[in-house]
Amino acid sequence: MRRAAAAMLLLVLPVSAPTPAAGDRPAPLTIATWGGAYEASQREAYFLAFTEESGIPIRTAAYAGGVEPLRRRIEGTGPDWDIVDMTMADHRRACELGLLRRFDRRVLAPAPDGTPAARDFIAGSFTDCGVAHNVFSMVFAFDERAFPGARPYRVEHLFRPDAFPGGRALRKRPDALLEWALISYGVPPADLYNLLSTERGMRLAFRRLDRIREHIHWWSDPADAVELLGQPGVSFASGYNGRFFNAAVVEGMPFEIVWDGQVYERDAWGIVRGSAHVERAREFIRFATRTDSLVRQTRHIAYGPTRRSAARQVGEHATAGVDMRPHMPTNPSHMTRAIEKDVAWYALTRDRLEERFDAWLAGG
Amino acid sequence: MTALAEPRRGLLGVARRAAVVGVLGVLMGGLASLAAVGFVAAIDWLNDVLRVSARSRMMAGDWRWLPLLTVAVPAAGGLLVGVVKRALLLADRAPGPPDVIEAAQRGHGEIRARDGVPSALAALCSLGSGASVGQYGPLVHLGATIGSAVGRLTPHGGRTLGTIGIGCGVAAAISTVFNAPIAGILFAHEVVLRHYSLRAFAPITVASTIGFVLANFVFGGDTLFRVDEVPRVEPFEFAGFVAVGIGGAFVAIAFMRAIMAAEWIAQRSRLPVPLRPAAAGALLGIVALWLPEIIGIGKETLRFTLIPEAFTPAELGLLLAAKIFATALCLGFGFVGGSFSPALVIGALFGALAAFGAALLIPGAADSMSAYAICGMAAVTSPVIGGPITTILIVFELTRNYELTTAVMVSVVFSNLVSYRLFGRSMFDEQLRRRGCDLTLGRDQLVLDRAPIRPYVSGDYEIAHSGQSPAALRASLVRAGASEAQLVDAAGRYRGTITLNDVLAALDAGHDGPADDLASWDIAVLRADMSVLAALRQAESDRSGILPVLESADSDRLVGVIAQSTIVRAYRETLGDLRREEHAAP
Repeated sequence: MRRAAAAMLLLVLPVSAPTPAAGDRPAPLTIATWGGAYEASQREAYFLAFTEESGIPIRTAAYAGGVEPLRRRIEGTGPDWDIVDMTMADHRRACELGLLRRFDRRVLAPAPDGTPAARDFIAGSFTDCGVAHNVFSMVFAFDERAFPGARPYRVEHLFRPDAFPGGRALRKRPDALLEWALISYGVPPADLYNLLSTERGMRLAFRRLDRIREHIHWWSDPADAVELLGQPGVSFASGYNGRFFNAAVVEGMPFEIVWDGQVYERDAWGIVRGSAHVERAREFIRFATRTDSLVRQTRHIAYGPTRRSAARQVGEHATAGVDMRPHMPTNPSHMTRAIEKDVAWYALTRDRLEERFDAWLAGG
Repeated sequence: MTALAEPRRGLLGVARRAAVVGVLGVLMGGLASLAAVGFVAAIDWLNDVLRVSARSRMMAGDWRWLPLLTVAVPAAGGLLVGVVKRALLLADRAPGPPDVIEAAQRGHGEIRARDGVPSALAALCSLGSGASVGQYGPLVHLGATIGSAVGRLTPHGGRTLGTIGIGCGVAAAISTVFNAPIAGILFAHEVVLRHYSLRAFAPITVASTIGFVLANFVFGGDTLFRVDEVPRVEPFEFAGFVAVGIGGAFVAIAFMRAIMAAEWIAQRSRLPVPLRPAAAGALLGIVALWLPEIIGIGKETLRFTLIPEAFTPAELGLLLAAKIFATALCLGFGFVGGSFSPALVIGALFGALAAFGAALLIPGAADSMSAYAICGMAAVTSPVIGGPITTILIVFELTRNYELTTAVMVSVVFSNLVSYRLFGRSMFDEQLRRRGCDLTLGRDQLVLDRAPIRPYVSGDYEIAHSGQSPAALRASLVRAGASEAQLVDAAGRYRGTITLNDVLAALDAGHDGPADDLASWDIAVLRADMSVLAALRQAESDRSGILPVLESADSDRLVGVIAQSTIVRAYRETLGDLRREEHAAP
């Protein structure tokens, strides 16, 4: 029924971006996104250009992961968002919980050479509720000043405070931590989630985390990761690769990313159920996922585009002038022990993982 | 003449042969490999849907029906297996690798699709519902069924090509699922064909390579286990690997004996045959509520044995016993599947346990636990399948590590040495021996035992009729230039042999009774339904040159005679066929 309704709407509305009548300024579209360097890159690549082309102003709201805000929205107490930029795991979960509207991929624009969107996006980019627009990765970086001698280059080193001392600024979520903990036993990435699905695997992972328990500084907002790493006493931080790139290359901080064991994932656009501007939201998603828009974002941040036509056009950073290709998570040299985040697994196990993680936190 | 047996000279002939070998190898290997990929994918899918795999169980979470499902799925799967076997299989025993070996050894090269397809279906039900059985046995049988069918359907194919097809199918299946093309070739030769002929080697190599190519480049194969990091092995640890080998042999023997004991118990239980797997499945599910590791193939457990911190020695011991119990239960009570993958898990658990033991004597042994686990895996598995070289090659191709393979080699050799002495060559050979196909003396005996003597029976002999006088008999013997006559009664039944010597001596002594009195029953009398081997044994007890041949074990009607020299010719010719098959040009 929902699908049918969405299709009906499509028939009624023109699919190509309509030019709004000049003069009457439309209500702004509210997009919930991640702040920091990431939001800045989106502003440059999407928001300003979209407003210029359609006349629709964009307002951003701070979002830091999870599905709670959307749940509250349904209950009538949540924020008034139209579009939300979620990680694939949360996006799928929100979709399953009915917190996002159904999305018809036929809205999306074809590649410049005419390749339909359905074939231009890399496999697994579409969901019932939206489309993935970039590949980003959870990595850990270290402060070069903390290790004048041997430098860490493997996940194992994160769990060896004896050899690589100093604080570890880690995100207060099981994501990536469990993966890194288990991979540090030599488990190949392809086996990770199967083993984490067993009681024994979970126990091993937490036992590894016990080793660094007293060295952890927790963070929740991704923007804090970079800030924490700059502080004295902290020698490692987990975080999104784009932000570390920004800190190291654009701002010149002495940070280095350890690509070993990177946990890559995608970000996806979804339209919040309850939004009053569904058509405009769709229009925005069509605009922001056009090949030229995606290429534009790679000029500002090191996240890989999900369209093949865009990946082929990755060039230099807009201001720093460095070649962006070696900084992309998808660069082949970073893929030897890369972990593709199993978002389907996370979508269904999230509550129990959090519960277990909280129990571990309390156990310290 | 078979399609592969026409050696033609000249460039054109060479090109034609290369093309035939290539096309047949690709066809047999490709089909077997596709079937293997499909089979494994179907098992994985079923395991996810039915909440057998760890991942799907984790994703099901605290779902309250999960414990019920854990018991119901293997029980229902068992019921289905029972029904499939009853409805579709001719025997109540599903065929497997032993039948493949038998077909290749007997040289008829025929594995009927009528057997192969229902057997694969029953195996799919077993593995899909989480029975503790292996997937490689059914895969080997499926590959052999396909290869045999292609071989026999090829124009001028016949027996030989059927046998080569079996080798190709088996090699492709192993190569596909293990990502190990060399091990595939060796498995086909070491375990199934048991001889190296250039004629079979070429197409089998092509088939195995095709399996590897399909698995790697087309489907992006998922292998049984991955070993990313291989520990350094210290020289003195080789003593430990010898011990793992010897201990592994005892574990393997315990495992094989447990399966046979379970079969024995099942046969003596009052449970109706079709319900036996269901009962085993239910019991398996109940135990799995406490020990979820025992259901399914056990990939996760296998992987954990490579991590030193994953188990305590007590857990390893418990799981080792539980997995042997679960597999014996499932196989003994009629689930359809192999014993190879459970043997891998059991061996790995044993190896890890051995590492704890070694750590008491050798400092640092616990750090190289994965080496011990892999040695244990190979030490237990190789005597079960009877393939020491194959096992070594599988480890080599999976780990691509020379030191580790050397360690495994030591364990495997000692394990096979012990197991061969105390048990026999393999589980398969033991199963075959129990149904009267003894391979311990090699293929020659088996083929001789199957080759009938009947074609060599001669109708050129002298008959003495009951009541005939010795004088008349002498006359007819002299006329025919024969030295003996076979006495038959009115119904044509053999009554004894009368030699010319006896006749002459009787006449000299003035014997005037009928010649019947002179007849003596030849103790080396042959039956026409005997094999060449039996005839040969029988002839050893006789010193005369000509042996009477009677119709069958329950009919004394004389059908002819056979000279001892003819039996020797039969022996030579039968083995000659075998040698030609084994030594023919590619």
